[in-house]
Amino acid sequence: MTKPLSSLTQASERSFTGPLEPVDDCTWRIPKSYKRGMLVDGLIFADERLIPLLRSDRAPEQVANVAFLPGIQQASLAMPDIHWGYGFCIGGVCATDPAAGGVVSPGGVGYDINCGVRLVRTNLTLADVQPVLTQLVDQMIHDIPVGVGQGGNFVFSPDELRSLMREGVPFLARQGLATADDIACTEAEGCIPGAYPEYVSERALVRGADQCGTVGAGNHFIEVQVVDRVENDPVAAAFGLHAGQICVLIHSGSRGLGYQVCDDALRALRDAPAKYGFNLPDRQLVCAPVESPEGKHYLGAMRAAANYAFCNRQLLMWHVRHVFARIFSRSWEALGMDLLYDVAHNMAKIEEHTVGGDRKDVCVHRKGATRAFPAGHHDIPERYRHIGQPVIIPGDMGRASWVLVGGPRALERSFGTTCHGAGRCLSRTAATKAARGRNIRDELLKQSGVVARCRSHEGLAEEQPAAYKDVDVVVDVVHRAGLSLKVARLKPLGVIKG
Amino acid sequence: MYEVFEHTADLGLRIHAATLEDLCADAARGLGAVITGDLEQIRPSAEERFHIAGTDPVWLLYDFISEVHAAFEIRRMLFCDFQVSRDADGLNAIAHGEPYDPAVHTLAHEVKAITQHELDVRHDAVGWHATVIVDI
Repeated sequence: MTKPLSSLTQASERSFTGPLEPVDDCTWRIPKSYKRGMLVDGLIFADERLIPLLRSDRAPEQVANVAFLPGIQQASLAMPDIHWGYGFCIGGVCATDPAAGGVVSPGGVGYDINCGVRLVRTNLTLADVQPVLTQLVDQMIHDIPVGVGQGGNFVFSPDELRSLMREGVPFLARQGLATADDIACTEAEGCIPGAYPEYVSERALVRGADQCGTVGAGNHFIEVQVVDRVENDPVAAAFGLHAGQICVLIHSGSRGLGYQVCDDALRALRDAPAKYGFNLPDRQLVCAPVESPEGKHYLGAMRAAANYAFCNRQLLMWHVRHVFARIFSRSWEALGMDLLYDVAHNMAKIEEHTVGGDRKDVCVHRKGATRAFPAGHHDIPERYRHIGQPVIIPGDMGRASWVLVGGPRALERSFGTTCHGAGRCLSRTAATKAARGRNIRDELLKQSGVVARCRSHEGLAEEQPAAYKDVDVVVDVVHRAGLSLKVARLKPLGVIKG
Repeated sequence: MYEVFEHTADLGLRIHAATLEDLCADAARGLGAVITGDLEQIRPSAEERFHIAGTDPVWLLYDFISEVHAAFEIRRMLFCDFQVSRDADGLNAIAHGEPYDPAVHTLAHEVKAITQHELDVRHDAVGWHATVIVDI
């Protein structure tokens, strides 16, 4: 017997009823006394408006579970776009100390290694784009591979893939598919050092062979946007943004290659908790010491997948530039289509931070969370170093997205991290149910003026604006918490999705 | 039988069957339904065999549906029917289906992976029960 996809479980099964103690107006604590085995408190950045949503699923329980990870420092953290994930919550942040036996957990990165976003500027205005918007979006979905089962236009041999994973975006520059500016404006300059493509399985290579330069499905998309309002003029100017300007936001990750790297790691680490004597409350939190052979193997493969993801977004941007050039009959250079910044959402990185007054290297897991370094940090591209790192926050396809800048308190409060999006508030099944009998594509056009093109009916239904929290509220919390500060709000005009 | 249950960002499968073999078969059918939205569109014109070594029911089920998922991701094979048996070495399955054809099949979800989050296989007086969450 088969039940329909809309079969629902009881709400009580999914809600969190444990302790959430207010620390200040935008921080809530799950004390480590909540569960035996928690090594540190859980700390969630949220305000009163988000608490009912926060309690509506199991994400806070996952924040508590992450506090079990050996070597965890300070607290198990979560951002205001927190929602139920697998192992870690989405929006989770955890730093471990390798020198103190700290672990790396593939579940703290997720299947979509280096899922992230990049924002491309243009010198076009709303008046330039509005008359050709439908033509532009139709051309994008025609030319850019998007959706389940869609292979890409770029096919790499196994040897080329290994070079691409080792070198990242500079490999594409040697093929004429990236510029020096593109490299400079990508996190880690498009190449995480310490990548070991030889640790990536043949199965992962097969899955990734024709997917570099494809959007995929789920919550991934490419969106044409207009800068709706500027909140911080000097920073916006330094980022090359002004009201009425057209930008393009690209959201994708490491595709099947990254998913397989994570899957392989979980399999390889299956016996690690017993071997190292770890007490973990969820299989998906499986982990190994950063300095162990298993930990080094995972990090080497993860970095290779991360570099693949930077290249994926680079090739997608390449497609976008050429679609614009075709529609506007000008070169992408003449259209000013420069990369503002590319930033990762799902990553484990060794970074130097101050913990308890000491400077130390820690392994920062960001799972659906964005690095947000403040002004002066040496890892920020030179052109933005005096201002702070650009942070790009996609919202939903009906309301808004944001550009923020790394905040003054991010290093002290969250290992230099902020939110990564609006965060889901409706499950996929509930969103599908809510979309029955409606035409989401027509609604988007009529209510928000957004031209949406999606390969599958499920994609639009599950990703409709109502499935997400209000990104303005989420961004308001990280702004008030000092994690990242508001720079500019962008409104969607056209979107392609799987 | 299987049911799809709510998970905020992903999708969950709850499976109930009289035997572990049927539990694995229904879990694989559930996965196919998540990917395609409708198993009826898949014709049983081709056959593939799977072997999963091991004895732990949790990992037999997890490894089996992970292989069925990989068959789609790597060889673009969609299956609608599974006959599962066990021997001392592990699990054997004969799967019937056909290669994905965009002209014939619609796809509903890109399943990134089978997760181990809250992965559970239990046996009680009524039969076998499993919970699996897939990453979308």
